[in-house]
Parts: sequence; C-alpha cells; structure tokens
Amino acid sequence: MTPTRRRLLAAPLALPLAAPFIRRAVAARSITFAAYSGIFQENYEPAVVEAFRRAHPDIEVTYYPIANSAQALGLVRAQKAAPQIDVVMMDVSVAKTGTDEGLFEPLPKGSLPVLDELTPKAFIEGVAGPAVLFDNYVLLYSPPQVKPAPTSWKALWDPAYDGKIAVQAAPDIVGIALTLIANKVFGGGDYHQSVAAGIDAIAQMAPRVLTWDPKPDAYTFLIDGTAALGVGWNARGQTYARQSQGKLGVAIPDEGSLFQINTINLVKGSRETDAAKAFISYALGTAAQKAFTERMFYGPVNTKAEISPEALARTAATPERLSRMLDVDWIAISKMRDAITDQWRRKILRAR
Amino acid sequence: MRRTALLLLVPALAVNLLVFLWPMLNLAALSFRDALPGGGIGTVLSLGTWRDLLADGYYWSLLLNSVVVSLIITLAALFCGYPIALFVHRAPARWRNLLMVACIAPLLVSAVVRTYGWLVILGDRGLLPSLLRALGWVRPPRLVFNEIGVVVALTEILMPYMILSLLAGFGRLNPVLEEAAASLGARPFTVFRRIVLPLSVPGILLGCLLAFVLAVSSFITPSLLGGGRVPLLATEIYDQAIVSLNWPVAAALSVIVLAVFGVALTLYGRLSRAEA
Repeated sequence: MTPTRRRLLAAPLALPLAAPFIRRAVAARSITFAAYSGIFQENYEPAVVEAFRRAHPDIEVTYYPIANSAQALGLVRAQKAAPQIDVVMMDVSVAKTGTDEGLFEPLPKGSLPVLDELTPKAFIEGVAGPAVLFDNYVLLYSPPQVKPAPTSWKALWDPAYDGKIAVQAAPDIVGIALTLIANKVFGGGDYHQSVAAGIDAIAQMAPRVLTWDPKPDAYTFLIDGTAALGVGWNARGQTYARQSQGKLGVAIPDEGSLFQINTINLVKGSRETDAAKAFISYALGTAAQKAFTERMFYGPVNTKAEISPEALARTAATPERLSRMLDVDWIAISKMRDAITDQWRRKILRAR
Repeated sequence: MRRTALLLLVPALAVNLLVFLWPMLNLAALSFRDALPGGGIGTVLSLGTWRDLLADGYYWSLLLNSVVVSLIITLAALFCGYPIALFVHRAPARWRNLLMVACIAPLLVSAVVRTYGWLVILGDRGLLPSLLRALGWVRPPRLVFNEIGVVVALTEILMPYMILSLLAGFGRLNPVLEEAAASLGARPFTVFRRIVLPLSVPGILLGCLLAFVLAVSSFITPSLLGGGRVPLLATEIYDQAIVSLNWPVAAALSVIVLAVFGVALTLYGRLSRAEA
C-alpha cells in the first residue's frame, strides 16, 4: 500500500472510531452485569465495578441497569436461548423464581473460595446464587416537620400526620414489609399463620395516607416536603439523607426492622463463566463489601470485611439492632404475596 | 394491475403480522398458562387463569371502574373541547391555523410533564388548594391522589385529540343552514340543537372513540395522580407484570383491554352507520 496524502489523513481520523473495538480486543473477555439503576448504579459502579476493572484489566464489564428485579427476571427469561447477561443481581424471592425456572447456575458453598467467608445467612435454600447485600426496612421522616425524630413505627398512626404519609402499597415489597412490621408492632404473632392484625392496623391508618404510590419514590416526597413520614430501605434512605441537607431523616425504630436480601446469580448458558465467576467472587470479597457498605450503607455478607464503625452504625448490622430484627422468610412470603395484596385491595386501598 | 396493487400491500401486511399479530397471539397464549407462586409460569395450557380472573369480583370492579372513569373523562373532554373546536372552526381563515396550532401545542409536551404540571396545580400545597384556603376554605378537598386528579389531568391531556377529531368532523357544518334556520325564527339555542349538533355528530363520535380508547389505555397519569387509590386495568397490568410477576394474569387483562377496544369500535361503527 502506497502512503498517499489521503491515507495519511484518514488514519488519525479512523483511530477514534475504532477505539472502542480496540479496547474490547485488549479486554479479551467481556461480561454483562445487570443490577439496579439510579442511585444504586451511581454508587455501585465506581465502588465495585470500576475497582474490579482495575483488578482484572483482561475482563470488560458492562453494567446493564434494570429498574427492578422483576425486569431483570423478564430479561433473563427472554434471553434463555442465547443469554446476553452473565451476572444478575436481584431480590431473593425473584431469584427463587429464576432458580426454579432453571435460569441460573447453582453456586453452592465450596464452589468458589470466597463463599467460605460469607455469613450462613447468605445461603438461601432453593436459590442458586448467594446473598451479596443486605438492606433493612426503615422509617423515613422529614426533620423539619417531625420533631423529635420518631423512635417507633407507631408514628405512622399519629393523627398529627394526616395527609402527610407516603407509602408504596402492596404488591410492592415495601407494602408487604409494612404489613409484616405492623403485624409485629400490633401484636399479630407469627406472620406465617396470619397477618390480619397488620392489615387491620394499616386499614386504620389508610385514610390519613397521602399516597399509596409515591412517584418517583417516597424519598423524593419527603425531601420536597410533600410528605412528613414514609417507609423505605436503609441504604437508599441514608444516601439520600446525606445529600438532602437535613430534609430527610432515617430511623430504625425501637421495635426493630426486617432485612431484605439481594442475591448475585450466574446466568446459565453464560459464554464467559470463568469471567462471571471472577466478578461474583470480587463482589462478595472483602474489598468490594467494605467499599460499598461504607459508600451506601448496605449490610455486608462477608464476615471478614472490616467495615468502619461509622458506616456500620448506619446499617442494621450492629449486635443490638440484629437482636430486634424480625426474621423474615422471603421465599414463604412470595407464596403469601397474592393473599396479602388481596387484603390490601379489599381493606386498605378502598379506605377513604 | 390488481395483482401489483396486492403485492404493494405485502410489506405492510408482513410488518403487521410480525410485530403486531404474532406478539398479540403470544400474549393471548400466555393467558392460557397457570401462574405459579412467586412469579413462575406453568408449562401446560390451562383455563385456570381465566377461571380465577372471571370468578374474582375485584377484576370485574376493575373493568367497571376503568370503563366508568374513561367515559367520564371522554364526556369531560367533549364538553370542554366542543366549544373550542367550534370557535376554531368558525374563526376567520387567517386565524384558524394559528388557533389550531395553539390547540395541538400541548401534544408537543410529554404527558409526564403535563401530569406533573397538574400535581403542581392540584397538590395539597398547589395553586388551587392554596387559593381555596385563601378564600376561607379551611380544609379544601384533596384534589390529587384520587379519581379527581386523574379525571382532571386526563381530560386536559386528551382534549387536543378530541378537538382535532371534532374539527375533522365539522366538514358538513354550513353557515348558510344556520342562517336559514335563524331567518325562519329559530333562537340560537334551537339552531345549535337542531342544526349544528346533528351535523357535528361524526366528529363527536370519532373524538369520543379516540378519547375513550386513550383513556382506557393510559397508564402514566393514573399512576402519578391516582395515588394507588384508582384501580384501573392499565395500572393493574403493570402491577401484575412488573411487581407481582404474574404474567398470565397481566396477559389476560391485556386481552380484556383489547376486547373493550373491540366493543368501543363496534359501537362506533354502528352509531356512525346509523347516523349516516
């Protein structure tokens, strides 16, 4: 090929166009990781995914944001014949459905060295992948409107907050969790038997609720002052509270709370199983668990991760809080979900 | 020649078969599977989902609520849109295009933005409740997160479609007929009732069909302004598909929405023929 003026000019122009593919060629293996979008992605990507990329330059990770676990399951289902996603993070009850449908590769204890470092609670019977992050249910409040900070879930039943409560209704997991909490707080006993006490209590509160479907979410309703009380999850609550300049407060009430479990799963049929396992190992490892807990206050699953006391105090993973947690079997709850939702429709959402 | 004309239809037919009919058939087939606990889908064909759905009063109330709320919105859009459409139709030619653009302009803004706009106006600390409080109403009724908010916002959102349909149907309106009626002693209201209204029926039918179909299928506005208290078919389909993971029930409800559209179209066809 004779070097002509045109070719000499074309070469530097073509280089930027080809750059993405050149990078891909350097990263010999490429995996896609599906996990939650929004504030979760904003924090997980720099704390865990970027760190993994630095530790494994030969593996390219693409973060595929998903709105929720159900959407992730829908994607994995649709791609069953030719999976495009290699690793997926999702709620434990949705992961159980995916496992039952044979969408995930089982990762039992012993299949990866890092699994020996995890708390026994990270292994859930009937679910392919281990838990990767714990979160816990919290009472959200608006510090300018609620003084002093609430210490009991019963603040939600205080007539002073008429028209100032934002709660996501069942079938959303937030509404289901409120049913379990109300059932405990109002003396309902074992939720496996009945949640009638919880349903009746929420029905009493219902006329004072501003909205059962806060959009985009309850955190926003509290930060902009539309609501004074709400319920949500600790990690997001703490992160938004830190950014809100005193407009959002997060309380873990004295009666205790409950954990929500996020699992990490290897998709069956992944073309890069080894790379995917390397990523899962990293996400469960001490470095990633410490970095993400200290950044977004999810509860760690790795018992060897040395979390700073300040970060730990913002999670429910302290000994005294752990002792007050309601032990929830989310797999059993997923079977009760339709019945609980039905009660919400008949007794709660109709109350005016 | 005829063969060539048929051949020209092939691309459009193929696209419709591939991207509309085939997914619709798949959707219908999905409704004949059982929903397993925790979001699973049964593998064998079954009538279980339909049996449960039709036996549950909640879904009947959902259907009734969707139809009633959509009819209220359609009528409200008609009552608000009709005078505007008539005004635009009768405006001098040089103003007509400008007025039409003004009527259609809201469509340039996303329905989400307009819905949030209504949240600002009707919300507890919004313009209207603040005004009512300033006028001495201590506890004005809640205007959002219930049926009121959904009806008000959807009426405004669907009004451009109603106005466009009415304008399209006003073709038979002839000022000469109105003048003739007036010269024979008819009062303005009689002229409207006996001449203008009957001649604008095609536009009214078209506008009502369009607004009703769009109201039944609207999701964003009821979702943002209903506050979880306005159970409608579209929001229930979302909950079943995305939150409860019950795809068979979501598919069956989608088929029901299609059936509602079918009934609306049949009614429209019959009324149009009767009117013609």
